[in-house]
Amino acid sequence: MKSLIACMKKEIMEQFRSGKLMILGILFVLFGIMNPAVAKMTPWLLETLSDSLSQSGMNVTSVTVTAMHSWVQFFKNIPMALIAFVLLESNLFTKEYQIGTLVLSLTKGLERYKVVVSKTVVLTLLWTLGYWICFAITYGYNAYFWDNAAAQNLICSVICWWLFGLWVIALTVLFSTIAKSNTGVLIGTGGSVLAIYCIGLFPKVKSYVPTLLMDGNSLIYGIRDVQTYSSVIIITVVCSVVCFATSIPIFNKKTI
Amino acid sequence: MDMLQITGLHKRFGDKEVLKGLDLVVPEHSIFGFIGKNGSGKTTTMKTVLGLLAADAGVMMVNGEKVVYGQTATNRFIGYLPDVPEFYPFMTAQEYLRFCGEITGLKKSENEQRCKELLTLVGLGDETHRIKGFSRGMKQRLGIAQALLNRPKLLICDEPTSALDPVGRKEILDILIAVREHTTVVFSTHILSDVERICTDVAFLDHGVIGMQGTLSDIKTKYRSEEYLLETEHDTDLLMLQQAFPNLRQTGKHQMIFCERDYTMFEVLRFVADQKILLVKMERTEPTLESLFMEVTRN
Ligand SMILES: Nc1ncnc2c1ncn2[C@@H]1O[C@H](COP(=O)(O)OP(=O)(O)OP(=O)(O)O)[C@@H](O)[C@H]1O
Ligand SMILES: [Mg+2]
Repeated sequence: MKSLIACMKKEIMEQFRSGKLMILGILFVLFGIMNPAVAKMTPWLLETLSDSLSQSGMNVTSVTVTAMHSWVQFFKNIPMALIAFVLLESNLFTKEYQIGTLVLSLTKGLERYKVVVSKTVVLTLLWTLGYWICFAITYGYNAYFWDNAAAQNLICSVICWWLFGLWVIALTVLFSTIAKSNTGVLIGTGGSVLAIYCIGLFPKVKSYVPTLLMDGNSLIYGIRDVQTYSSVIIITVVCSVVCFATSIPIFNKKTI
Repeated sequence: MDMLQITGLHKRFGDKEVLKGLDLVVPEHSIFGFIGKNGSGKTTTMKTVLGLLAADAGVMMVNGEKVVYGQTATNRFIGYLPDVPEFYPFMTAQEYLRFCGEITGLKKSENEQRCKELLTLVGLGDETHRIKGFSRGMKQRLGIAQALLNRPKLLICDEPTSALDPVGRKEILDILIAVREHTTVVFSTHILSDVERICTDVAFLDHGVIGMQGTLSDIKTKYRSEEYLLETEHDTDLLMLQQAFPNLRQTGKHQMIFCERDYTMFEVLRFVADQKILLVKMERTEPTLESLFMEVTRN
């Protein structure tokens, strides 16, 4: 247990001193502010554009912005934040393989699974923290400008998206134990998500693939109700656990 | 008891067979010199013992326990210094050692004390900068410190003195001698004078097998091929001798060496007497590790 805590401490120290923590902090705060800001600016944008638009024959009726616009922005922007997160953290394992820093730790008798566990815990922690900070900022501004009650199933929809992020992290960890370079990690993770997304295009399986969790808009507009998400939530949790559990025996046999 | 025992170790990389049935026994409390040319497989052998490389065949025992590849439990007995040690560059030396102590489960107070003690021992006591800016020699010193941290039963060092200045080399060798009481030391090297200075046992690795192994003194007596040094007064005499005994090796302007195996001493002396060659000196020399090394790796 003590060695596991030491590993986590080391991971956090690395995030801090390498500047990754600051980049992630700025990123999530910025996205959090951007969602309501873009919504707030929509009428103004349309107004300035209306002249040129009406000349081209389009008629612009004035729009009333609600919290919904801001939440739609949220679900539009958060994939970008997740992609940035994965890009930034894709070398968490592979950098250690390339430099060879794990050799000394492992030859001291540190159990290998502790390396995987500590890195996964720190990734989960960072994603959770960043994601909910982003959410809290958007929520706060929305409550100030408009009324969050406009969005239905709000908490459920954002929890779904958070869970989707955890599944992607589990994939990242799995491919980090398989691949040697971070290009491999990115190809593996990105490829898997893309493949699952494509599978999800078939209407029959649509409700059972993790990428459905990205569709927060259907929930807040009340197009789908929460019950239809229950099976996909279970499937995603199981998938994430399986990915994580597979990465440990793979890492145990890896040439460091 | 033997601290490390390797039997029939095979390892190949692609079509290149590096180790071809290596057998090695390291007795407890010895300082074991592991000698071989560049690329002979010293690092490969050590990495296999640490479970970092999978052996193709063979059994390795550390402190009586079998070594397995991957999750290697026997590593808890071992302190390892790789040929090029790599540390987390964002930590300072103190932080790194403390981290090492924590992952090996040292108690907090003991850890603090041990870190301080070892950093002073390797001469990094006042170093407060991050490892990022360390020189190779400084890394090597930190490497020794981390290897000794949890008082390992077996210390494996891969060319521990290769990046050090002469003073640093002596300091590290002195450290190795000092830890011998509690620890068995195995170290690989090309520097034969280091071996002669501190080793109790040696093994020569050549062409994937151990060419020679034993205590340093045993090996020296056993492989003693009588060597004689001759010094003549005139260089012309030397030429004459060389014509008569082509296997003579010239070592100086008036000096040469021959082996008993090639020519007997009396044969040479008879020639000297017949030709009335003036000798300045004739001497039977001690075999050096270098000549043994040459002999093992002759072809
Ligand atoms: N990962 C690898 N892939 C392919 N070949 C390798 C690998 N590691 C080592 N070798 C080969 O194995 C041989 C032995 O290498 P090793 O590093 O064990 O030699 P060494 O005795 O430690 O040499 P040195 O004295 O230079 O440190 C070399 O010929 C090397 O080319
Ligand atoms: Mg080597």
